[in-house]
Amino acid sequence: MKATLAPPSSLISLPRHKVSSLRSPSLLLQSQRPSSALMTTTASRGSVAVTAAATSSAEALREGIAEFYNETSGLWEEIWGDHMHHGFYDPDSSVQLSDSGHREAQIRMIEESLRFAGVTEEEKKIKRVVDVGCGIGGSSRYIASKFGAECIGITLSPVQAKRANDLATAQSLSHKVSFQVADALDQPFEDGIFDLVWSMESGEHMPDKAKFVKELVRVTAPGGRIIIVTWCHRNLSQGEESLQPWEQNLLDRICKTFYLPAWCSTSDYVELLQSLSLQDIKCADWSENVAPFWPAVIRTALTWKGLVSLLRSGMKSIKGALTMPLMIEGYKKGVIKFGIITCQKPL
Amino acid sequence: MRLIVHNMLTCNIKGVINKFPLRIEAEKVIKKEVDFNPDFLRHMLAKIEWKALVDGARSMGYTELPDHAPALESDEPFLRKFHHALLELNLEEGSLVCQESGRKFPVEKRVPNMLLHEDEV
Repeated sequence: MKATLAPPSSLISLPRHKVSSLRSPSLLLQSQRPSSALMTTTASRGSVAVTAAATSSAEALREGIAEFYNETSGLWEEIWGDHMHHGFYDPDSSVQLSDSGHREAQIRMIEESLRFAGVTEEEKKIKRVVDVGCGIGGSSRYIASKFGAECIGITLSPVQAKRANDLATAQSLSHKVSFQVADALDQPFEDGIFDLVWSMESGEHMPDKAKFVKELVRVTAPGGRIIIVTWCHRNLSQGEESLQPWEQNLLDRICKTFYLPAWCSTSDYVELLQSLSLQDIKCADWSENVAPFWPAVIRTALTWKGLVSLLRSGMKSIKGALTMPLMIEGYKKGVIKFGIITCQKPL
Repeated sequence: MRLIVHNMLTCNIKGVINKFPLRIEAEKVIKKEVDFNPDFLRHMLAKIEWKALVDGARSMGYTELPDHAPALESDEPFLRKFHHALLELNLEEGSLVCQESGRKFPVEKRVPNMLLHEDEV
């Protein structure tokens, strides 16, 4: 098995007392406002309440994310292509892959995610898909081609949305896929219209995980599936209220550069979905399957082409590049996990 | 923005009941040819909110659509009109207006911006 599947019994054994701590206040942003618009956060369980300051810093976060991707998307696409997510690799693969090997791994990530969710067997039922945090539309175009489905992507970045549309046109997919600027926390769609709700590495940006999950569930059609692939922190042990200070410190440093407001664990997502009565909830830790990714990204950044492009792109890109070793550290020390969580909405 | 997308977009401002459809104020409309696929169109016919499509097309300068979608198996001339309205009219610049609140969502370079302000959430 390439992926570590959590068997269903492990979901049942999650401590029940944790569910109540995930009602809306718990996973909200608790922020201090430094002089810049960035946020340093501590996401701990229990007593966090949204303050007036937090609300307006939510808008600052949105702008920060949009600007970050406005600035860095072109650079990423130039070097890595149109998939802005981790590749999926066999664990312990020591072979150093070529660029095309990594691109294939990124495609494999999409395929493995669809397979894990049980979507591959139900292809014909997938008519309408939403890609939440769509980047420049790599997943949308791939899924639309694969299933012949209509796919709508949303992103905070106007630069990304435009680029995504242009790529769709270039690939003769513009009748099937389209992209808008919209907020994943307030999706401009009616309830229950999507057969597949796809969130590939966008959950990290959401300041309010409970609201994020509620919106995903709201727009999912009865019988539809939700796939969340996201960076998480490790599950807390029984009795642990929050991460260790050094762990939190590591995540905070990453948060600043990548505009990540809050980290939660895979278990947190599972419990949120349970509380919303989703069924067939599955999760897995794919950290071993993404291990080659960040070293590969750093290697490409250190090529001549990479360095020149970085310098041209601007400070956000440079800071982003300098933060990448922290991601590797986080994975190595077991603080950061790469998680997949999938489920189905009851009929 | 094409009408296939417009047919799904709603105004989610807190308190607004009449969220759909959004009225189109067109400033620049372009026509982009798209391959004709009758099966896809027949499938879409079942999902489309027809009045919103007709009104949207009119706002973009296309008035050929009938007021009601045909009840029986649709013929090619009709499908061609449906295809043109749904997929080939593209709002390059303009606004989507919430009928209840009057809030305008801009469309720039074919991309609608549906972000809400903090007091609208």
